[in-house]
Amino acid sequence: MIAHAVFFYLFAFIAIVSAIMVTAARNTVHSVFFLILDFISISCLFIMIGAEFLGMIMLIVYVGAVAVLFLFVVMMLNVAQQKNQWFASSKSSSHIPAGLLVSLIIFFELIIVIGGWKYKPDLLNSSTILISNTTTNTHSLGNVLYTDYIHLFQISGMILLVAMIGAIVLTFRQRAGLKKQSYIKQISRERADGVEVVNVPKNKGVKIDV
Amino acid sequence: MINLDLIFPEIFLSLAILFLLMVGVFKKNSERLVYNLSTILFIILLALVLNLFSIEEKMIFNESYKIDPLSSFMKSLIIVSAVFVMISSFPYLKSLNILKIEYPILILSSVLGMMIMISSNDLIVFYLGLELQSLALYVLAAFNRDNVLSSESGLKYFVLSALSSGLLLYGCSLIYGFSGSTNFTYIANTSSSIEYGVIFGLVFIIVGLAFKISAVPFHMWAPDVYQGSPTSVTLFFAALPKVAALTVFIRFLYTPFINLIDQWQTILVFISIASMVFGAVAAIGQSNLKRLIAYSSIGHMGYALAGLASGTNQGIQSSVTYISIYIVMTLAFFSCLFMLKKKEVFYEKIEDLSGLSTNHPILSIAMLVVLFSLAGIPPLAGFFAKFYIFTAVIEQSMYFLAIIGLLSTVIAAFYYLRLIKIIYFDKPKEKFETDHTVGLKFTLAISTGILVLYFLYPGLLNEVISKISII
Repeated sequence: MIAHAVFFYLFAFIAIVSAIMVTAARNTVHSVFFLILDFISISCLFIMIGAEFLGMIMLIVYVGAVAVLFLFVVMMLNVAQQKNQWFASSKSSSHIPAGLLVSLIIFFELIIVIGGWKYKPDLLNSSTILISNTTTNTHSLGNVLYTDYIHLFQISGMILLVAMIGAIVLTFRQRAGLKKQSYIKQISRERADGVEVVNVPKNKGVKIDV
Repeated sequence: MINLDLIFPEIFLSLAILFLLMVGVFKKNSERLVYNLSTILFIILLALVLNLFSIEEKMIFNESYKIDPLSSFMKSLIIVSAVFVMISSFPYLKSLNILKIEYPILILSSVLGMMIMISSNDLIVFYLGLELQSLALYVLAAFNRDNVLSSESGLKYFVLSALSSGLLLYGCSLIYGFSGSTNFTYIANTSSSIEYGVIFGLVFIIVGLAFKISAVPFHMWAPDVYQGSPTSVTLFFAALPKVAALTVFIRFLYTPFINLIDQWQTILVFISIASMVFGAVAAIGQSNLKRLIAYSSIGHMGYALAGLASGTNQGIQSSVTYISIYIVMTLAFFSCLFMLKKKEVFYEKIEDLSGLSTNHPILSIAMLVVLFSLAGIPPLAGFFAKFYIFTAVIEQSMYFLAIIGLLSTVIAAFYYLRLIKIIYFDKPKEKFETDHTVGLKFTLAISTGILVLYFLYPGLLNEVISKISII
């Protein structure tokens, strides 16, 4: 049990520190690296509570795809040089007090909420979320995903389709005057189409019109 | 399997989207074909939805999807207005050169998302429907991508809407954590006792929804997005998503959280008053017609929410009536806006209206009807919409809300009347073109006709709406 607690606090600490560093890091590339670290430690936390599927998906999707994509975008847009300075600069800090105030209020409200939860002993009993020890996380997800939640699965598919259409609409540009290769034309070209044998008179040359 | 006919409209619409995509891919230059096909598909869809009108209340997919008079009415309202949006905005899209096959397809998918939202009886279904419709709307807002304003409005809407979706999701997770279920019916049975977590989640969700219908204080995005997007998309924004979000408001507040009415009533009254006052005051200084209609719609949403805040069936029905008439007014207003065209340029400044009556008497009369109706002057439909709201509110003895509402109506009447003054009494400008398409003229004629003639037989609409009873 003590090992469990040690690991939990280790990962939780890393997650929170790296989450802060994402916003505080001066270099945008560093921010993305901290984001990846954050994702990894959160997926470790997921695995620790027995949600191994969620943890692995987090690793594959967020770390493997999304964060790497972020990194590419950041590197390509060359925003790494831009100094992220909302902590340091003295000029544009007028909105920081208001933001801090709002976050403080939300923070205290959350403490009330979580406190109410913590000291309410019968909550776990009244909860309908059944946690079974025999079936694994992945197994039980598979049980419901294509049966009880089939409509949600289909709607998610539509959302992804719309995202794809949207990305294409906003970025795809038809370029004019693009030269395309046509295999059929290339293959069916005969020698007679391209080569002409000309009798060249001596000392006269031949006029080639290009 | 036997219940599958209850979601037949949604299945049909999904298949229609895929079919139109295929048509667009395999047939070259088929923009016009896809556009017309999607209008026809909307009409078929309307028939399918009307087919379900007689169903009292049925649930499918483990009670997560609900078909009842409210959902049927709102779905048909959305589809009818989508048809009119399609037929009225065709010339605009063509002359702006942004008619692509994806445009109608995105509209269709956004309507699909709205239908899912309207029927949702579960937090997950509701959220997925919301995301589907907003994702299509982000792209539509930025559709005129070579225009800086349009791209900016798309980006702005995307960032702010994603933020509000985050808040909404956070609220959903709190509610799930504290009540143990995402299903509205189930939450209603468990959340009788007041728990901080549930109320906290409820507030977050109200914030998210208020953002979607652009109610104060979550309205900041509306004027910029309305102004920046292409006018056809602005029309879509101003009309359809509000119907869907208002329906979710009704479902959400009156199914799972009817026991917590004391908690959310105050919030709703505040949002409603703030929207009415802000919508009336902030619109005065505007010079762009699209910005003006954005502020006007903020105000109108305030009235619709006032009906909801009353907490009675009558209040809900008055809100539904209000939003129906609001949509007709929006359609009529934007049809007028589409007619202000000269040499492929569309005019959207208030000063362009100057002296419209000398050159375009019929258009001016239509504009007059719309503006009087927006201001709520009898005997036009807009008056009755406000009248029902105030009756419902006063019957619950919420006099403060009613008085503020009436006062802001008076303030709002100022800028509507100012437009009429500019149209009728200012110096005439150059003539606009008059060769409008049949669809546009038809839309304007129908919507203005409804506004003028509603008072002759208000029972026609009221009878359908009176079937909606949530409590």
